[in-house]
Amino acid sequence: MAPTDATTARPSVIASELDIVYTVFGAKKRGTSTDVEQPFLERILARRSHVGGVRKVHAVKDVSFVVQHGESVGIIGRNGSGKSTLLRAIAGLIPPSGGRVWSAGRPSLLGVNAVLLSSLTGERNVMIGGLALGLSPAQVRERYDDIVEFSGIGEFINMPMSSYSSGMGARLRFAISTAAAPDILMIDEALATGDADFQARSSERIAEIRQDASTVFLVSHSNAAIRQTCDRVLWMDQGRLVMDGPTEEVVSAYEATVRRPAAKPAATPPPDAGPEEPAAQSEPVTAPPLWP
Amino acid sequence: MQAATPPPLPPALTPEEAETLAREAGLNELGSVPPFRKYLKDLWANRHLIWALSSSQAYSANQNNYLGQLWAILNPILLVGSYYFIFGFLIPTRGGTENYLAFLTIGIFVFGYTASSLTSGSRAVTGSIGLVRALQFPRALLPISATLTQFLTQLPAFAVLMIMMPLTGEPVSTKWLLFPLALVLQTMINLGFAFYLSRIVNASRDVANLVPVVVRLARYISGVFFSISHYAKGHYLLGFVLLYQPLAAPITAVRESLMAEYEPKLSTWVACAFWAVVLSASGLVFFWRGEGRYGAN
Repeated sequence: MAPTDATTARPSVIASELDIVYTVFGAKKRGTSTDVEQPFLERILARRSHVGGVRKVHAVKDVSFVVQHGESVGIIGRNGSGKSTLLRAIAGLIPPSGGRVWSAGRPSLLGVNAVLLSSLTGERNVMIGGLALGLSPAQVRERYDDIVEFSGIGEFINMPMSSYSSGMGARLRFAISTAAAPDILMIDEALATGDADFQARSSERIAEIRQDASTVFLVSHSNAAIRQTCDRVLWMDQGRLVMDGPTEEVVSAYEATVRRPAAKPAATPPPDAGPEEPAAQSEPVTAPPLWP
Repeated sequence: MQAATPPPLPPALTPEEAETLAREAGLNELGSVPPFRKYLKDLWANRHLIWALSSSQAYSANQNNYLGQLWAILNPILLVGSYYFIFGFLIPTRGGTENYLAFLTIGIFVFGYTASSLTSGSRAVTGSIGLVRALQFPRALLPISATLTQFLTQLPAFAVLMIMMPLTGEPVSTKWLLFPLALVLQTMINLGFAFYLSRIVNASRDVANLVPVVVRLARYISGVFFSISHYAKGHYLLGFVLLYQPLAAPITAVRESLMAEYEPKLSTWVACAFWAVVLSASGLVFFWRGEGRYGAN
C-alpha cells in the first residue's frame, strides 16, 4: 500500500506543514565556529540581541505526512535532525509553532527521556505515571507488582528517584510507560535502555504492545531495529523531511549518504553547520574567545 | 555531485485537504483548545492524578532535611516570633487590636498559605515542564495540584493555629466552625491566581521574577500585621479597597471566625465568596484558552 495514498485507507496520524520552533533558555551563544567569518560588528550585534541566554531553535520545518492505521513507521536521521521533537509533536506534547497535527485516540510516548518527579519515590512515580497514562488507581495497584518486577529495581522502589542510577530510572520509566496499551505507540530509542537482559525483555514487551496498538512510531539510530520493526520510514535531516517511503528504500538511501562524507568530505557540506541546528551539543560552545 | 540526494517527496496534501481528511477520519487536532465541556470532563477523569500528585509532593516537600515535616510548623512559629518582636515592640503596629498576638499569628499563617500558593502556582506549568513534555493530560491539573499541594503542606500549620488561639487567650467558640469555610474560600482564590499566573509565566517566563515582589508588596498591604480598618480610618475608599481585596479578605474572615473581638460580618464573607467564585472560574477559563500552548517554550 502506498503510504501517501491517503484517500483509500483510514488515517490515524496526519501532520500538515508542521513547524516546531522552541525557545531555549540559558543557551547564550558565544562565538561559534560559524561566527568567525562574520564581521566584528555583526558578531557584537548578534550577541546583544538578548540580554538573557535565549535562543530560538527551529527543530522541525514544514513536515507533512499521513500515517494509516496498522502502519509501523520508523523515523531516522542524524543526531539533532529533529526526530525526537517530531515524535513529541505528533504525541501532542510539544505544541506546533506552525501547521497542524491530528491523531486518533491517545498517543503514548514511550521515551526513556520521560522525566517523572525525581524527588518522589519510585512507588509514587508508578502511581502518578500510571494515572497519567489513563489507568484507574485500581488498575495501577493491580499492575504495580508487574511494573516493579519488570523494571527489576527491587528495594529501590521505595527510594526517591533522584537516588537511582540512570539505568534504573530508565528501566522504571520504560516499565511504567508500557503498563498501559496505547492506541498509538511511540517509541523513542527505548530499545537502547539497560543491559542486554533488559533489552531482550523490552523488545519482547514492545512486540506484545505492537499487536494491540494500531500504529507504531519508532525513533532509532539502529537501522537493524528499524528494518525489523517498521514497514515505512521517514528520514529527517536538519528538521526537514527528506524522504518518506518503504523501509528498505529509505534506509538504503540514508546509509548511502551517511557513508559518503567519510569517503568524499568535500562532496556534501557537513549538515551540522546550520545556525539553527537543534543539536546544541554539536557546536563548540566555547570556541574562539571574543576577548583575548 | 548529488548522487546521494533522495528522490523528491511525493506532493504533500494541502492544509485544506489535510483538514478534510482528518475530519472525515474523526481525528482530534493536537495542540488546539478542546471544547470547554470536554476539558472539564477530562479534568474530572484525572482527579485521581491530581490527588496523587498533590499528596506526594506535599509529603516530599519537607523530606530533604532532618526535622522533615516539623518545619511546616516551626517556620511560621519562628516567623510569628520575629514579627512580634518587630511589630509588637520595635515599631508597634498593634493599634486597634486587643489581642495582637492572635491577630498577628492569624495574619502570618493565613498569608503564608497565600504567599506559597502564588509562588508555586506561578511556576505550576514551567516547573513541571518534564511532566508536560512526557505525558498528555489537561494541563489545568498542574495549577490545581500546585494549589492543593500548598493546602496540604499548610494543614499542620493550621492545626497549630487552632492550638495557639486558646494559648493567646482566645475563648473556644462555635463560630470556629467558620474557619474551614474561610480556608476553602481562600483556596479557591489562590487557585484562581494560580490559573492566571501559570499561564502568564508559561508565555513569558520573566514574569516569574516579579511574583516574589508582588507577594512582598501584598504582605505589607493586606493587613498581615496591622489593622487596616484602624490605620486607614478616614481614607474611606482606600480602606475599602485594602480591606476587601482578594488577598486581605480571607485573613479578615479567619480573624472573624477565630477571634472574640471580631464579629463575623456579612460583607467580609460575601467578598470572600465573590472573589473565590469569580477568580477560580475566570482563571480556569483563562487557563483553558491557553491549552495547547503549554510546553511550547
